Amino acid sequence: MKTNYHQDVDTVSEYSQLSAWKSASTGDRLNVVYGLTVVLVVVVSYVLGAFSWLPHDPEAMDLDTMMAGPFTNGYLLGTDFMGRDILTRLILGIQAYFLPGVLAVIIALGLGSLLGVLSGYWRRRFEALVTYFANLIDSLPRLVLMLLVIAAFRPNIYTIMVVFGITTAPTIAMLVKGKVMMLRERNFIESAVALGLSPGVIIFKHILWYNCRALLLIQATIGMAEAVLIETSLSYLGFGVQEPTPSWGNMVQAGANYLLQGNFWPSTAPAIAIMLTVLGFHLLGDGLNNILEGRQNR
Amino acid sequence: MASVLSQELVTTAALLLGVSLVVFLILYLAPGDPFAALLGGRNLSGAERDAAFEALGIPKTWYGQYLTWIAHVLQGDFGISMRSGQPVVREIFSSGMKTLFLTVGSLIVTLAVAVPIAAYSAVQPSSLRARAGTLLVYLFSALPTFWLGYMLIYFFTRKLGLFPILSATDETQEYGWLYALLPVVLLGLGNGALSEIVRYLREEISRVMSEEYVRTARAKGASIWRHAYKEALLLPVSQIIAAKMPFVLGGAIIVEQVFNWPGLGRVAWQAAQDRDYPVIMAVTLLAAIVVRLGSFLHRTVYVAVNPRASQQ
Repeated sequence: MKTNYHQDVDTVSEYSQLSAWKSASTGDRLNVVYGLTVVLVVVVSYVLGAFSWLPHDPEAMDLDTMMAGPFTNGYLLGTDFMGRDILTRLILGIQAYFLPGVLAVIIALGLGSLLGVLSGYWRRRFEALVTYFANLIDSLPRLVLMLLVIAAFRPNIYTIMVVFGITTAPTIAMLVKGKVMMLRERNFIESAVALGLSPGVIIFKHILWYNCRALLLIQATIGMAEAVLIETSLSYLGFGVQEPTPSWGNMVQAGANYLLQGNFWPSTAPAIAIMLTVLGFHLLGDGLNNILEGRQNR
Repeated sequence: MASVLSQELVTTAALLLGVSLVVFLILYLAPGDPFAALLGGRNLSGAERDAAFEALGIPKTWYGQYLTWIAHVLQGDFGISMRSGQPVVREIFSSGMKTLFLTVGSLIVTLAVAVPIAAYSAVQPSSLRARAGTLLVYLFSALPTFWLGYMLIYFFTRKLGLFPILSATDETQEYGWLYALLPVVLLGLGNGALSEIVRYLREEISRVMSEEYVRTARAKGASIWRHAYKEALLLPVSQIIAAKMPFVLGGAIIVEQVFNWPGLGRVAWQAAQDRDYPVIMAVTLLAAIVVRLGSFLHRTVYVAVNPRASQQ
């Protein structure tokens, strides 16, 4: 019986991607579904905020309804210590981290892939240099480096997120490098080299696109989670978005004094938003990792 | 073993040199003149500036300035704080000790929480308790540290009334260790790396538990703990301490801000506010030294435990 090997390989890979979801554990599926829901809510809220389709005016103060709990007087999530609608400010707070976070993730993935491929594909030439560069960046605690950059340049959030992207690149580079080194030994890459395919095609198509996209997607979700934490931390420290423009970090900070007097809600609502979002991105990354990558490692 | 470690020491030195260059270049490229602040806020014109530089003995080229600065740093002279007028070293030393206490304490808390949960969920991965533990760890890692800090303060000051809300640094002395415990616990649980640490430990433990030498030990009734603790616990833990040092130092900035803890994090925060270049440079260098030191210690443990490592 004649076998068409090429077609076989294709069917197997198609089949295994479908079956990956079918054979995934319930926990992993729940994680992915929850994570995707969070991503959807964040993206929709970002669009709502960008077009100012908001339930209330974010800076309008309702002096009769201050520090109200959820569901009072038409304020779905209540009001803060100045009578401003919390839901509106939460939606608008996404503006503070969404685009900067996406920028940071793109930089991290781009630079990380570049360094990873260089050191994994041409080990003799680049490995030592890339390892040095990665260790150099890893030596500087991220937040400390950011304070240094803030002291020097007084940058806006986009510049800070560029720094964040660069500091995240080494982690991704090491993961990509490991993958490239493993793939380099495999038959199909050796065949591609023997066939005379250009390194560009091998690297971009056969290594990065076919074999690293799951890894890069997972790292992107983890990167977004960290971007949220970094932006909120910096806003909390007073180096990010300034009042009255809302950011989840400065909302927690502004509400902190009232929290210490026992009025939890104005500070806790943005804290819950941070937690649910970060958790969502983390669980999405974890679930995808188990479903898409775990199978190969087993 | 000695040759591997001396090689490691050379790498560490090379990395620290690179860090110092990066730190210098960031501030060298900064807009505005750091020297203007030193000279009473006057921005000097070309000729005046050259004269002032010459009078102070500062080279004009960037590498000349870098070499002068690094020569001073190597002698332990980090300059004078622009804010307080004190030598930076003195300021850094006293606050550094407070941050050291915070970070070491928090690492102990982290490990005391992470190791049991990881071990339990490695041995019984599908049990309800393991899952609850993992979920709790994830929740803690996602909560913003600063909010958690305020909740702790509220709970201990208002609900339990153990001490008043403290603002000034000298007041903290009176309440001693009890007050010091809160930020330590907060940094230990809320540095954002807890879930990653638990996952890493769990994977390492379950990997080692399925190794053949552990199976052999179990088969002949020998102590599994005695055979496996080096690979399943000692190495992963030292690896974590080395790898998570930057996170702990970064988290310390937030925790010190919440608790008014007079450590390096607050010094760095203040320096970033005031653009106090000598201080922020010194703090960054010190942080990098601590990170590299942690990494070096991990390599030492690794080489000591793994005989193969020193033959390479």
